[in-house]
Amino acid sequence: MGTLELDGVTKVFPDGDGEIVAVDDVDIEMRDGEFLVVVGPSGCGKSTTLRMVAGLETISSGEIRLAGQRVNEVKPQHRDIAMVFQSYALYPHMTVEENMAFGLEEPTDLSDGEIETRVADAAETMGIAELLDRKPADLSGGQRQRVALGRAIVRDPEVFLMDEPLSNLDAKLRSELRTELQRLQDELDVTTMYVTHDQTEAMTMGDRIAILNAGELQQVATPLECYHEPANRFVAGFIGDPSMNFFPVERDGETLVGDMFDYPLSGSTLDDVGDVTDLTLGVRPEDISLAGDSAGDHTFSTVVEVVEPMGDENTVYLRFADAPEGETFIATVGGLQQVSAGDEITVEIPEETIHLFDGTSGEAVHNREIDE
Amino acid sequence: MSNDARTDGGTVTEAGPGASAGLLSGLDAYRVLLYLGLLGMLSFFLIPIESGLVTSFKTASGVSGSLPFAPPTGGTFTFEKWRAAFDALGRGLINSALYAIPATVISALLGSFTAYGLTQSNWKQKYKAPVLALLVAGVFIPYQAVLVPLSQFWSMIPLQEWLGFLWALGINNDYASVIELIITHVAYGLPICTVLFRSYYKNMSDEMIEAARLDGASIRRIYRRIVLPLSGPMFAVVLIYQFTQIWNDLLFTLVLVQTESSAAAPIVLILAGLGTSLEGQDFALRMAGAFIAALPTLAVYIAFGEEFAEGVAT
Repeated sequence: MGTLELDGVTKVFPDGDGEIVAVDDVDIEMRDGEFLVVVGPSGCGKSTTLRMVAGLETISSGEIRLAGQRVNEVKPQHRDIAMVFQSYALYPHMTVEENMAFGLEEPTDLSDGEIETRVADAAETMGIAELLDRKPADLSGGQRQRVALGRAIVRDPEVFLMDEPLSNLDAKLRSELRTELQRLQDELDVTTMYVTHDQTEAMTMGDRIAILNAGELQQVATPLECYHEPANRFVAGFIGDPSMNFFPVERDGETLVGDMFDYPLSGSTLDDVGDVTDLTLGVRPEDISLAGDSAGDHTFSTVVEVVEPMGDENTVYLRFADAPEGETFIATVGGLQQVSAGDEITVEIPEETIHLFDGTSGEAVHNREIDE
Repeated sequence: MSNDARTDGGTVTEAGPGASAGLLSGLDAYRVLLYLGLLGMLSFFLIPIESGLVTSFKTASGVSGSLPFAPPTGGTFTFEKWRAAFDALGRGLINSALYAIPATVISALLGSFTAYGLTQSNWKQKYKAPVLALLVAGVFIPYQAVLVPLSQFWSMIPLQEWLGFLWALGINNDYASVIELIITHVAYGLPICTVLFRSYYKNMSDEMIEAARLDGASIRRIYRRIVLPLSGPMFAVVLIYQFTQIWNDLLFTLVLVQTESSAAAPIVLILAGLGTSLEGQDFALRMAGAFIAALPTLAVYIAFGEEFAEGVAT
């Protein structure tokens, strides 16, 4: 059973006289066969977390359990974990076959024939059977990454750890391998912890996402939960591209008063807010719609500053009619809608799509409504 | 080189349609000066070697009767000096090889082990740092400073008694000094070997070593299967450097072997006295001897040249 539990895991690096907390009291429970993506900005401690699970970094406090067994003191070579590195980390003097067989030689008591069969099987799965006799230097980036993955799956470990394995590839190859990795993980059904800074990879690949910031775990949830029900402002801003728009507002009775606009709230939203007055209003670009000529409580007149056509949709940088230039927010509208810079348009921010965050702590106090 | 040629070709085609015009335009004053300068340096370095070589084939009258760099003519040409030098130095060649080869190989291997421990192992930095500091300090200890302690040290070690079984086999007990030379040169060469290997291992991919650890390899197996096979270029550098140092060293042999009459006398010790007598110096014999003594180091350079270039480049 490949369950993996992180219980209050903390990593402290000494720094001169003081110390730096790289990972702060992280709790994650992964069930057998789960694909968990750990995501966050660079320096947030996600790689350190992964390296602690691998045993390449010591654990300052807390406990890591693999299949229910505490592994804090177990050396990496005895953890039954395979890891794929960003740089592929292939052994340059060995052929692809030797690279893949290396992990099977010493720790296991497999016969040469069995090793050969398993390497051949794994090579078949990864589509690199015809490369077995080549050296890493003769392979392309995509092929090297396949070999690195093959080297991991041939061991048939309890857990796969992947440290930004796709970030050295070009965009097209990356999305290709992304799909393939998902299929592979689904097929092998091995617990996988996948570290990335790319929120697209996080959204598309994982069963669940764990979002880290400054060493602290922000939220662990399914991709859609993270998207629609972010636990706090950081998650809301990190997940989604283009990111969510935020406006600082002050609650005055039943109205949110911003620098450039007033936004009246209805009863149910007000219940969520409680007695907090200092708030941040968040709304995703795709939830802002063109209102035409109609006017209502939640429509605002704006000026278009920049339009970035993407084909299927336009990313539009808007500013409130009386706001200074440069203070923009983003809306995405359909690709066929005619919008050009300088236009004055009216947009609607529907109340059921807004998120509200505590202005000081950043905690979500109200998330958007979802039609079931 | 090939890049240069290509840029030259470029200027030729740009300069004009005629090939001869192109050639002339390439021959500007700068190039002429450059080639003259290079030629001058070439002869500066080659003339002493050429002089030594031609002198070694001259009879005594040839040496005194002609310019040093003039080749020998019919009557003054002889192989006699080479034969005599070889007779005198033959046993020295073997004796030198007896300690130079083991000392070179052992110091390179130990240096590689030590550097591996200082870089890739997960010892704490606070334990590595003092060891490294000691080794770096060791690089800068001059030979002269250790001569007296060295002879004191070996006079305290009852090596002659310990090796009694060898003398019983009929081996001359002068050969104890070969063992002393091996150990001394290994100890003296270890710091520089370690420092050289350390810089090489520092540049090795950490992720690759970590991948091997996760692949279940022990620290010993990682060295044997990953680090050692990838150390080839640095071994070439260290082997050439150490072999040349040890083979050419005279000071330690003077202290530990002392006299060329010893059965274990290395080639440098015999060479020092070769061709000098009360009647004067036999320059031709000395030149022939010098060439014979230098040949092994030349052979090592040629043997490891390609890897050497690669190792120096990294």
